[in-house]
Amino acid sequence: MTATVGVAGAYDRRTEAPVDGRRARSNDRSGARAIRRGSGGDTVSAQLRAGIVGTGFIGETHLGAWTAEGVTTVVYDVDSARADELAGRFGATTASSLGELFEAVDVVDVCTPTHLHAPVAIAAAKAGRHVICEKPMARTAADAEAMLDAAREAGVRLLVGHVVRFFPEYVAARDAVLAGQIGDPGVLRLTRASFRPRQPAGHWFFDHAKSGGIVLDLMIHDLDYARWVAGEVVAVECRSAIVDRPEAGVDHAVAILTHASGAISHVSASWAYAPPTFRTAFEIAGSHGLIEHDSAFTAPVTPYLLASGDGATTTALADTSLNGDPFRHELAEFARAMVDGTPTRTSAQDALATLRLALAADQSAHEGGRVVRLDPAEAVR
Amino acid sequence: MTGHERRAAAGNVRIGVLSMEHVHARSYVPLLADLPGVDLAGIWDANPERASSAAGGAGTRAFGSVAGLLEQVDAVVVTAPNAEHRDLVEQAAVAGVDVLCEKPLATNVPDARAIVDACERAGVLLMTAFPSRWNPAVRTLRSTIVAGGLGEVVALEGVNTGAMPDIHAAWFVDPARSGGGAVTDHVVHLADLYRWMLGSEVVEVYAVANRILQEHFDGVETGGLVSLRFANGTFATIDCSWSKPRSYPTWGGLSISAIGTGGAITVDAFRQRLAVYGTREAGISWPDWGPDSDRSMLEAFVDAVREQRQPAVTGVDGLRAVEIVDAAYRSIEAGEPVRVGSAGG
Ligand SMILES: NC(=O)c1ccc[n+]([C@@H]2O[C@H](COP(=O)([O-])OP(=O)(O)OC[C@H]3O[C@@H](n4cnc5c(N)ncnc54)[C@H](O)[C@@H]3O)[C@@H](O)[C@H]2O)c1
Repeated sequence: MTATVGVAGAYDRRTEAPVDGRRARSNDRSGARAIRRGSGGDTVSAQLRAGIVGTGFIGETHLGAWTAEGVTTVVYDVDSARADELAGRFGATTASSLGELFEAVDVVDVCTPTHLHAPVAIAAAKAGRHVICEKPMARTAADAEAMLDAAREAGVRLLVGHVVRFFPEYVAARDAVLAGQIGDPGVLRLTRASFRPRQPAGHWFFDHAKSGGIVLDLMIHDLDYARWVAGEVVAVECRSAIVDRPEAGVDHAVAILTHASGAISHVSASWAYAPPTFRTAFEIAGSHGLIEHDSAFTAPVTPYLLASGDGATTTALADTSLNGDPFRHELAEFARAMVDGTPTRTSAQDALATLRLALAADQSAHEGGRVVRLDPAEAVR
Repeated sequence: MTGHERRAAAGNVRIGVLSMEHVHARSYVPLLADLPGVDLAGIWDANPERASSAAGGAGTRAFGSVAGLLEQVDAVVVTAPNAEHRDLVEQAAVAGVDVLCEKPLATNVPDARAIVDACERAGVLLMTAFPSRWNPAVRTLRSTIVAGGLGEVVALEGVNTGAMPDIHAAWFVDPARSGGGAVTDHVVHLADLYRWMLGSEVVEVYAVANRILQEHFDGVETGGLVSLRFANGTFATIDCSWSKPRSYPTWGGLSISAIGTGGAITVDAFRQRLAVYGTREAGISWPDWGPDSDRSMLEAFVDAVREQRQPAVTGVDGLRAVEIVDAAYRSIEAGEPVRVGSAGG
């Protein structure tokens, strides 16, 4: 089945753009611009050929999503054995260099380690390819700005995968806020609790200079959501256990945000829990109502099986098996944007503003919880 | 004759209640009437009608004057509006009567310190009413931490949110009588539990607050988030907001996530509850079937009075919590973290 664009299309009722599957499909011809047809089905995204750079943990997730969308995929990884193995499993093609991948695809999907988002994205833009990039947009704001400039100069689209905006519970809560069900958001509490990624010591993940640590990697999901629900942030205070007490080896960070609207947010990100924990929770309190969610209490299927092992993967990812894959919704929406310019619920500017917020939180954590102020005008520049 | 000498003559501990204005008095009075070894000796309230109706309901005497009641008791429970604690505790201390004072101990640091000093000077016992210290879930977390079961604790996150207390009494949202809004009302419980669990003091506080929640009201802060740094390096946060709407099935709750080198433990202190669905008008309610922490706290107070020993929660514990609240307000004002206690002025 490839007719899945409409799934994501069902999303938007009152937000950035009215999107609906049928309309998107009828616009196929007009949007064909630089896009060459792939060999996939008849959905919008199936016209695309996508090239995944970096076939690690998230690259594999994206490959699964693209494949389910009927998109033709080409993959590239400096670890060619890994790329070959994955390509074999999903029926993708392997490119032997970045240049070869750029030649073979319409859109480049950047799934490299965080500090290597910018060089790959910029090269792709210069090659005239649309770019999808995993979060965080880049390791530094300067890198992210360079990506925006490159995309602008090349006239290609650049979108960043803040996938929480595609998780149904997060979308439903924001829709309830936008519908006025709880009034003006006043106090938000956003929680993401998991275990330390099971990567070998020396992995880029554990190098703050490359990954940005737990704030840029994990907390950024909820920092982005806080902005999406309560608007721009003007001040952030953040504490991080790994910064305060590196010898304890516990990765746990908490930030307190003040939004321009006056709303305040408590954002907690943890890799301190035992595997296979992956718990997300939020509470959005408004001027006349309250929204609560806790993934600990919303699993519709609970197995009590006598299996061995804790079932944990390398890195925790939410179990979305019963709701459709949010990565697939995300990539389908992005693909449609690239085919016909349909607006998306997130933009590269948006991702840059979220990155600036994450960098400010990380800076606060490294300066003992000093309050770092942000200029909301800069966020929308 | 001091209160203690009078008790020696009597046998049962005679306890009076000073003021019915705090909603918790409605829980304490029937418990005191029921506790073995306790005589609920009387109730005073600034409003004589309120005193006599409460006294009638509990089968005890109403007193028209504080002094009159203090002559007849070994100990008092002070459940007046926060700003009136000091005057009542000072009178009790002078009369040689032991005191259990409702939280927060006072609306400002000088008053809290005066309360502690007055009791010390008079040689009477002073306990601050922090019933959550007797909540079994909270106690389990604390004993696990103390036994090293969580390793080194690096962070605590707590939520003590509730309905806006103007549903109980108007003084709760009158800063002249309450001292403030959600920050005054809800920070002290978790701040006290954290100090107790960590055995360390708060050195720095960052807090933010707003008035967006509970739009029917325009006054004290209704939303607040507080970040604490302890001397031992642990950081902790508190959501103290009055964020539960009127439609919420219970008063609120208290939960803690404790993070350490050994992993994490989460505690939801009032998770032991039913969900009861009534008629459309009655709506949904979540009656609590867990153990009654108020009862355990009152028993602990009575035992301390009977044995004339320092209660498990002291007046100084109450004072420390007030210092943290004071620092939170200073931080809200400054928009920056502030030091706690003497360092902060
Ligand atoms: N959205 C989410 O929920 C989510 C989840 C996990 C990771 N991510 C993001 O995805 C990115 C990758 O994370 P991961 O967990 O997949 O890491 P990973 O280490 O598992 O995979 C990275 C892959 O990139 C390859 N690589 C490194 N340098 C390369 C280069 N120059 N060219 C091509 N390939 C190269 C590596 O060989 C590896 O296979 C990170 O930015 C991370 O923040 C997002």
